[in-house]
Amino acid sequence: MSRLAQPKTSPVIKRDGRMGGGAGGPDGELHNDIRRMNLDQTQSTNADLVATEICPVCKSSRYLNASLRFLVNPECYHKMCESCVDRIFSHGPAPCPIPKCGRTLRKHRFREQTFEDLRVEREVDIRKRVAAVFNKREEDFENLRDYNDHLNDVEDITFNLIEGIDVEETEKRFEAYKQANSREIEENAQMAAHEKQSFTQQQKVERHQAKQRREAARREEEEERREAEENRKDVLKRLASGADADTVAKEGQRVQLRKRMDRQAAAERQRQLQAAEDARNNGSSNFVIKGLKAKTKAEPEEPIDPFGGLRFVDSYYSLQDDYVWEGIQEAKKDVRQTAGGYDVMDYARRSLVAAFSGLGVFVADEVTQRDQVGQDAEAVGTARADIGVKDIGMVDAA
Amino acid sequence: MKFMIEDLPVLFPYPRIYPEQYAYMCDLKRTLDAGGHCVLEMPSGTGKTVSLLSLIVAYQQFYPEHRKLIYCSRTMSEIEKALAELKALMKYRADQLGEVEDFRGLGLTSRKNLCLHPSVKREKSGSVVDARCRSLTAGFVKEQKDRGEDVDLCIYHDNLDLLEPHNLIPPGVWTLDGMLRYGEQQKQCPYFTARRMMPFCNVIIYSYHYLLDPKIAERVSRELSKDCIVVFDEAHNIDNVCIESLSIDLTEESLRRAGRGAANLERKITEMKDTDAQKLQNEYAKLVEGLRDADQARDEEAFMSNPALPDDLLKEAIPGNIRRAEHFTAFLKRFIEYLKTRMKVLHVISETPPSFLAHLKELTFIEKKPLRFCAERLTSLVRTLELTNIEDYQPLQEVASFATLVATYETGFLLILEPFESDTASVANPVLHFTCLDAAIAIKPVFDRFSSVIITSGTISPLEMYPKMLGFNCVVQESYAMTLARRSFMPMIVTRGSDQSQMSTGFQTRDDPQVVRNYGNLLIEFSKLTPDGIVVFFPSYLYMERVISAWQSMGILDSVWKSKLILVETPDSQETSLALETYRTACSNGRGAMLLCVARGKVSEGIDFDHHYGRTVLCIGVPFQYTESRILKARLEFLRETYRIRENDFLSFDAMRHCAQCLGRVLRGKDDYGIMVMADKRFAKKRSQLPKWISSALLESDSQMSVDQAVASAKKFLKTMSKPFPAKMQEGISTWSYEDLRKHQKKMEAEKPRMDEDGEEISYGQRVLAQAREMEDEMDVDEDMDAAMMEVEVGR
Repeated sequence: MSRLAQPKTSPVIKRDGRMGGGAGGPDGELHNDIRRMNLDQTQSTNADLVATEICPVCKSSRYLNASLRFLVNPECYHKMCESCVDRIFSHGPAPCPIPKCGRTLRKHRFREQTFEDLRVEREVDIRKRVAAVFNKREEDFENLRDYNDHLNDVEDITFNLIEGIDVEETEKRFEAYKQANSREIEENAQMAAHEKQSFTQQQKVERHQAKQRREAARREEEEERREAEENRKDVLKRLASGADADTVAKEGQRVQLRKRMDRQAAAERQRQLQAAEDARNNGSSNFVIKGLKAKTKAEPEEPIDPFGGLRFVDSYYSLQDDYVWEGIQEAKKDVRQTAGGYDVMDYARRSLVAAFSGLGVFVADEVTQRDQVGQDAEAVGTARADIGVKDIGMVDAA
Repeated sequence: MKFMIEDLPVLFPYPRIYPEQYAYMCDLKRTLDAGGHCVLEMPSGTGKTVSLLSLIVAYQQFYPEHRKLIYCSRTMSEIEKALAELKALMKYRADQLGEVEDFRGLGLTSRKNLCLHPSVKREKSGSVVDARCRSLTAGFVKEQKDRGEDVDLCIYHDNLDLLEPHNLIPPGVWTLDGMLRYGEQQKQCPYFTARRMMPFCNVIIYSYHYLLDPKIAERVSRELSKDCIVVFDEAHNIDNVCIESLSIDLTEESLRRAGRGAANLERKITEMKDTDAQKLQNEYAKLVEGLRDADQARDEEAFMSNPALPDDLLKEAIPGNIRRAEHFTAFLKRFIEYLKTRMKVLHVISETPPSFLAHLKELTFIEKKPLRFCAERLTSLVRTLELTNIEDYQPLQEVASFATLVATYETGFLLILEPFESDTASVANPVLHFTCLDAAIAIKPVFDRFSSVIITSGTISPLEMYPKMLGFNCVVQESYAMTLARRSFMPMIVTRGSDQSQMSTGFQTRDDPQVVRNYGNLLIEFSKLTPDGIVVFFPSYLYMERVISAWQSMGILDSVWKSKLILVETPDSQETSLALETYRTACSNGRGAMLLCVARGKVSEGIDFDHHYGRTVLCIGVPFQYTESRILKARLEFLRETYRIRENDFLSFDAMRHCAQCLGRVLRGKDDYGIMVMADKRFAKKRSQLPKWISSALLESDSQMSVDQAVASAKKFLKTMSKPFPAKMQEGISTWSYEDLRKHQKKMEAEKPRMDEDGEEISYGQRVLAQAREMEDEMDVDEDMDAAMMEVEVGR
């Protein structure tokens, strides 16, 4: 993960106010413009109310023209009415008519403002740009601290861009990050789009289900009312035919009650079925994993074993670290011997191998094996090798 | 009087006990032994509070665990009454036992009621008192003083620090007045004395909100241990209290003020950067580490806190993008600006939190997670900036709690934007309702935390509705009838006028002149025959106004005027209290008076019309809620889908509980008497939903009357009531002396073996429920089952 280095220990961001020249210059000015604009607005709420109703270019007001619409251009965020936009910009790009602005604006970029506060409008535009690039998710981090630090960094960058602090440098960081993480950015963007889609789908389904449930409840109620009515009629009819009043009334009640119980049980079953189905659906399609990335520690690698488990350890003897024998004492100390990388212990090892080789090898066995090998020509190579292995291993043969 | 319930000796501060009180205590003890929750309904005026307190205090003192009692009530006057009862009880116990027990009982109420500071206590509004108190007592103010800066401190609060922290006030029961007097004597603050002594009390008496409102409960009640006994008295409205504590309404004005608050915060941050950047840096460092201040949680000065955040979230670190103070204010501003944009829409919108969040993210790139931490981050920031004029930030805090709630709960909440106040209004005045639909959310922590929660009231029928709505299981649910030596109250249902046409305030007929005239006749007749006071309840203010003006033009009020003074409740509380005072004077001096009021108004809850203050209560129409309200509709749908409670069932339940409240106003004791008239044809079908003690007194013959019949039987009833009735005649029937009690206990013991054969001793309601469940399980219908079903029908 590439961390954008910024000293986190300084909470007070260096504030350069106005930027000197370069790419940061105009943006800083723009920022100050907007700030001034909003300050003017907040200073007098009454004037503010009037100001929102009058086009600053042609001075036509909403009081006279109720259908007046105001548009802004994200280039400079100056507000003007629709007809002014048509008038000035329909013949191609033209400078902004607001005094001291003079930026070149194009008609197709004009749009209605979403937020009342133009500063917020601009902020959101910047955020849109930043969010498209810094779109790492919580799942991409292994611990919460890293994730929060990342969020903090992103917010720092955004804040700098919005407030016009160190714009040049921030832009550089921005671009660098973009370059470095282009693949991840794309992946995450795709994932977000997918998520959004499934969310809207889910919402739609939920709304539909709610509607159905509402209707079902209404139907049920109606049904019940109808049945009660029917039952009452039935009882009346039977009473008219001269049955005993008490038993008829009781029976009628009983029938009604049983019906209601049946219906309730059926509804309950239906609901459970529905719930089970929902659970299944949730399990398959809308399954989204959230949270931090699972931490997996790499398992320690095992030492390489080129002989595939075959080990050259002898059971007949064990090699000592040192052997006291006149013949090698001299050689041990002699620089001339050791300078070339010669280890005297090699001599000892070789002698020991030579001394014990052949022990545990039984010639009779080998003879029978050789006979078998003779019959079976193809296996010769391997059998030889086997025997060789036994020779070396000695353990196996024992 | 002293008696035993099983192995527990109970001291009861009166020489006689009502049978229902004894039954109530037995059930209470059963609940405490079993360690579960219960719902108990006992008629008003039969000494619910005293039986509750005497049993629980006996339980505390007898068993070694000394479980603490938290007694929650609704109004100040009820809290005071409970404290007085407790004090009398403890005095009686001391007399009987011959020693004063080591016992502390305290009441807690707002700063406004408990302040002693000479200038602060003169403030009228509670929030101003709170704010000024904080500015004099906050921790950082004291630090400033220690540094030698010139700041004001409250001497009453400071004196507390000189005392031993576990013994700020001597043992005993302290009424609110007593606390104030003691505080004045010792020059110590009663409010903070009560707050700090809470862990060392045996009994705490305070308002619901200290336990239910998550914003307050977090601070006040977090240290109470798990085995506390929690009692909610007068709890028939508890679901509405729960819902209100989590619902937030935002208007354009409040958003504007919140925006101003955010701008102020920004300015303060810049100022602090110039003067004391280190402090901000410290806060930042702490947030990076994800550490909460150890003392922060216990800080009693903290004015804002988290609304109902799950515990695991509370332990998580604040998200990185709102860690820095200036980032956070920008974040808040963006959120407020977004809400403002939403307010501009001119049609009604109702949406769920997830879809709100999705739209929010699309427009402003605000993620769910930082939103969830909004309230907490704001608290931390306010503390760092050492703000004192906190009432300016109230709207901002509201927005922050809204943010936290909307990001925390996906279900059980709904956002409803209503651009116009009424259907006919043409000028937009948008309100964003963030309404809680599920009463169980707010009360869940209480049920989770405390092992015994007792919900009790005079009118809490049908009992099984409450466990369903609040999402808990109860071990005991019981409703007690009132034992009476004579029939001292007469409920009746009037369905027709004297001309036999039906009376109803149903939507189709409510403005029918015939119906209005019939109601008028009812009013005239009862005003003639009732001695002293009459209370009349209407379903709504709107309807009351319409009917009164109609009566005026029909000349009905003039005839009422001959026998009674007429007074009317208004939405204004001062006007209403003036009307009440006049009403009482008129009742006492023999002129007689009639009070016209509203079934969901202030008078219907908490004001008693005992004895001659109320001899008749007239309930005109079934007090249904305004069903066109979008919030109510949303809640009904939620109840249907989540708890399987049908719309009509809930509406009728809600109407009947308010009706029962109104009816219960006139009967405040066993020596009291009164007439209860329900005047609407729809009442005839809702009889079974009345509390047991009312419905058992309602005779079949009284449940379908016309006005003239009602008048005749009311006259007869009043004649029997006017005969002298010595208290001696009640003995053994509606009041028990010790001997009667022993007799009853012996009888119960004799019956017990038989009961054991029947199986476990469970209440009737549960038995019925269990049967219903069994029936649902087995589907084949047979004779036995039919019989059981019939029982269910009767039980309902």
